[in-house]
Amino acid sequence: MEGVKLTISLIIAIILQWTLRTIWEPLVYIDFPLIIVVYAALQRNAIRAILFGTISGLFVDALSGGLLGANGFVKTLIAYVVSEVARRVYMDNLLLRMPVLAGASVVHALLYYSLHRLFGQPPAGDVLVTTAYSLIGTTIAGTFIYLLLQSLGTDRARPRKRDMFSQRRQTRRRNPIRLGK
Amino acid sequence: MVALLLINFVLMAFDAREMTSGQRVVRVWTQTAADFVQSPVTTITSSVGNYFVSISNLRSAQSENAQLKQHVQELEVELKQKEELASENTRLRSMLQLREQSKYKVLTARVIGRDPSVWFDSSIINRGSLDGVALNMPVVTDGGLVGRVTAVSPLTSQVDLITRDKSGLGAVIGQIGDSNALGVVTGTSKKDLLEMKYVPGIVDVHIGQSVFTTGQDGIFPPGLKVGEIVNLIQGSATTPHVIQIRPAAHLDSMQEVGVLLYEAPARTEFEQKLPNAVKNK
Repeated sequence: MEGVKLTISLIIAIILQWTLRTIWEPLVYIDFPLIIVVYAALQRNAIRAILFGTISGLFVDALSGGLLGANGFVKTLIAYVVSEVARRVYMDNLLLRMPVLAGASVVHALLYYSLHRLFGQPPAGDVLVTTAYSLIGTTIAGTFIYLLLQSLGTDRARPRKRDMFSQRRQTRRRNPIRLGK
Repeated sequence: MVALLLINFVLMAFDAREMTSGQRVVRVWTQTAADFVQSPVTTITSSVGNYFVSISNLRSAQSENAQLKQHVQELEVELKQKEELASENTRLRSMLQLREQSKYKVLTARVIGRDPSVWFDSSIINRGSLDGVALNMPVVTDGGLVGRVTAVSPLTSQVDLITRDKSGLGAVIGQIGDSNALGVVTGTSKKDLLEMKYVPGIVDVHIGQSVFTTGQDGIFPPGLKVGEIVNLIQGSATTPHVIQIRPAAHLDSMQEVGVLLYEAPARTEFEQKLPNAVKNK
């Protein structure tokens, strides 16, 4: 169920990314697919997050004037890193997820820019200004989208306590009755 | 993950190599698929926008109604005069443009999408190879030059704007034949500014002068308006002018464009052998 919800969210995010710029130019600073990819990575399902990153990145690249694969590369990398961090650190609180999304947005912008420089296709625009606007837009929009996604989630989809803590904490309890024997 | 990263990296390397010359196959077919989403969304958003505009207009309609009634009679008189002038203008215009129209047709297209990436500013139009659009065809508006077609799918095409820093075109300040202020117009990192290079410092140039294409770049036909000079640092006998141009076309707000069905004259054998020449596929 969670997978279906995230897949639908990703499709909507890609469509929004394709179309919203024609409606209002500043909306381009919101990276909708990145928001969903980071959310998927925070669910501690690395494979799904990585696939989401590659697919959404390639779809955005296909309609962009930039290099095909640049978005896919960066989003895949971010999905992997975030899912690995989420496996080790407790991040089921929205306040903790916001800085993760902000960091992902900054890393995404800088890596994307660097890759284009590397391949001799420098993008237009000031890197600092564009990164700053992307950070603000993506973080604010992401906060609302995460709230929406959490409210749509079922109880089963919410993280189980067992998933939040490492295996070491689940020490096997000895039966006091059997100990007494 | 490593495999996916590798695939993306290979795609990037391949795309970077094909960026200037060939047709990008993956991009083309994704554009075709995206057209089924973008066209309806563009239609819906424009109709919704028009609806809200009409509601806001209704508020002021009542007060304007009284004023308008007063003007109606005056306008009716003016209208008859203007109709005569308009018909005369149309006839003269058609006669003047007859020669240009015989050179290349203009295919009207609607902008159905903008670049989804914040770093680039290309546009998607609703005309493709089925309509006769081909790679490198010039795209214009009534204001002036917009850019060129960089990817063509059967139903849509991608247009790179002249403001992109990788773009370049041969241009002249003033009309061709009347001026020897030739140079190259390139994009800058700014969205509403172009730069003109290699104009000799001894040539007389002023702010406000218009810049037109020369046709020497092998892509754009001569005589298209590029923009107007807005900033100028005078050169000398040994240094060229530093010229900044504002594009004539409103690149941020364009909704309809024209694709010039223009094919540049074939390059000579010598030109095609040059190391930086665009290879025809």
